[in-house]
Amino acid sequence: MAEQPPSPLPAPEPAQLFDEVPCGLAVTQAPSGLILRVNQTLCGWVGRPAASLVGTQKLQDLLTMGGRIFHHTHLQPMLDMQGSLSEVKLDMRHADGHRFPVMLNAIRRQHEGRAIDVVSITMAEERNQYERELLLARQRADELLLKEREAQDALRIAQSEASRLKEAAEDRANFAEQMIGIVSHDLRNPLHAILMGTSMLSSERTLAEEQRRRLVGNMMGAARRAQRMITELLDFTVERVGGGLRVEPRAVDLQAVVDGAVDELALSFPHHRIRHEKAGHGDAGADPDRIVQMVGNLVANAVTYGVPAGVVTVATSVGPQGASISVHNDGAPIPPQLLERIFEPMVRGAQAAAAARNVGLGLFIVRAIAQAHGGSVSVMSSQEHGTTFRIDLPSGGDPTKAS
Amino acid sequence: MTLRERNNVQVQGSGPLTLVFAHGFGCDQSMWRFLAPRYAESHRVVTFDLVGCGMSDLSAYEPAKYASLSGYASDVLELVDEFAQGPTVFVGHSVSAMIGLLAGLQRPEALHAHVMIGPSPCYVNDSDYIGGFEREDIDSLLDTLESNYLGWASSMAPAIMGAPDRPELGQELARSFCRTDPEIAKRFARATFLSDHRRDLPRLTAPTLILQSDEDLIAPVAVGEYMHRVMPNATLRVVRNVGHCPHLSAPGASADAIDEFLAAFAP
Repeated sequence: MAEQPPSPLPAPEPAQLFDEVPCGLAVTQAPSGLILRVNQTLCGWVGRPAASLVGTQKLQDLLTMGGRIFHHTHLQPMLDMQGSLSEVKLDMRHADGHRFPVMLNAIRRQHEGRAIDVVSITMAEERNQYERELLLARQRADELLLKEREAQDALRIAQSEASRLKEAAEDRANFAEQMIGIVSHDLRNPLHAILMGTSMLSSERTLAEEQRRRLVGNMMGAARRAQRMITELLDFTVERVGGGLRVEPRAVDLQAVVDGAVDELALSFPHHRIRHEKAGHGDAGADPDRIVQMVGNLVANAVTYGVPAGVVTVATSVGPQGASISVHNDGAPIPPQLLERIFEPMVRGAQAAAAARNVGLGLFIVRAIAQAHGGSVSVMSSQEHGTTFRIDLPSGGDPTKAS
Repeated sequence: MTLRERNNVQVQGSGPLTLVFAHGFGCDQSMWRFLAPRYAESHRVVTFDLVGCGMSDLSAYEPAKYASLSGYASDVLELVDEFAQGPTVFVGHSVSAMIGLLAGLQRPEALHAHVMIGPSPCYVNDSDYIGGFEREDIDSLLDTLESNYLGWASSMAPAIMGAPDRPELGQELARSFCRTDPEIAKRFARATFLSDHRRDLPRLTAPTLILQSDEDLIAPVAVGEYMHRVMPNATLRVVRNVGHCPHLSAPGASADAIDEFLAAFAP
């Protein structure tokens, strides 16, 4: 059964419709915004009678200050240019001071030769709340995203730091193992020689004086080698773990110090000629014991890797600009790939004779001592010119590392 | 990205003088629709969008650079170098009047005269100085800009309303006026309404026209009078107009004042 279609309403009274529609309506003078007509709905919302608005108030006067600025900077120029506005959200003020959000649409028309704006306004309380919540949620999401990014960055940094530390720890562990191997192996030889010598001295009563002297000489040499290794190990430990080698520089006659060192070394290496060339004169600031140690290490090195029975030349130069000590030997050059890291610990040339072997810390310690003096050490090596290590010490010998 | 693309630069007309028109906060170069064509008849006219507004390249918007008006001023000098020919008059609306002031102080030889429409060196009241606003009013504006994120987006599609009375606008309705990224609009509002260039005013010696509306919430008459008092070479003209854009809502009176100024100004 079909229902009866509703019968159409008669045309409503326009003024009544204008006043009672469920949205605010206003007609304003363009472009000033002066209210020419306003409906009851809007009057109710703002809590003011039409008589107090028409002809005296501008529509923008009903807005908050932010809305009024916005009206001047955006809405009015847009109406001037495009003749309409839609869905603009603003806050209106009630006569009692409370504010409420509205949506505003407007269109500009010509009416009897003058420009007017027809404005419709709808309440947007709930929509506003919803939008606020959306905006807030978006802000929160943005913040969370930012936090997560920061956390991820921090994690990445921590991870790379951790893997760097792990690598460093592994390096150290490998290094320590290697060193223990070398030390135990290399210390065994001189100790063996000393044990053999003592056992021979105690059992063989019939040794000729000459044999006995040689035996004691060999034992002393072996003991010195062992002592040097242990000294090097101690120095190495101090340099690596103890915060740097200590030197005590003072004004010394550097050439006399090196003279003494060379004389002693000549006794230790009777099969080599060790020359000392001197240039300039005067004192240099240096720790004499450490100078002897450096020269000893470099000469031992030159003897070990130089031409058998060759000449080792030590040259000492002293002047106002600083001092230098160089040690030169002829022989096969140091391979380039080795040259780059020759001052690193435990880097050794291939052809060292077993008897002359050491822990491989000699050059590392030479560099540490030179640096503790505020100086440096360098090396040049070629087939043509042989190999020269050169220590440079600054004038005055006032290194920052000295204590 | 060329300067032309960055600032959506439009050049029209030719003549011995170049007029560079710079729009204010809230809109773009379409504000000059009534004035620019008129001056293009006898001048070289350059219009452009400030970076972050209108059809400018939004990717060029660097928050740090544009946090103060000096970032915009350096853009203006670049545009003048590239597009102006001969003596140049800078016509700045609202905040762009202060941008022109900064550009003119930086390179006095680049801008020979200034037309400032509805300018204000400082919007916030400060003891004796009446800028027209309190700090919380500016916060209220930022709030309005923020809540129009959604509303603003839909106001860019004005098809619902149309403009049946003004068919000449029909085609333009397809594009949107005063397009603004809400985030940039808020930053620009801060740079504009929290700026204070009162101390710079006395240093501008180039001839300057202050074009003031008699009823402008953003730049009250007292502000125009203050500027006229402290600037060494300024003329004040007050036109009958309600609102902040006399060049839109009172273009005839605005043009008369500018014509008079340009006639007196011999380059």
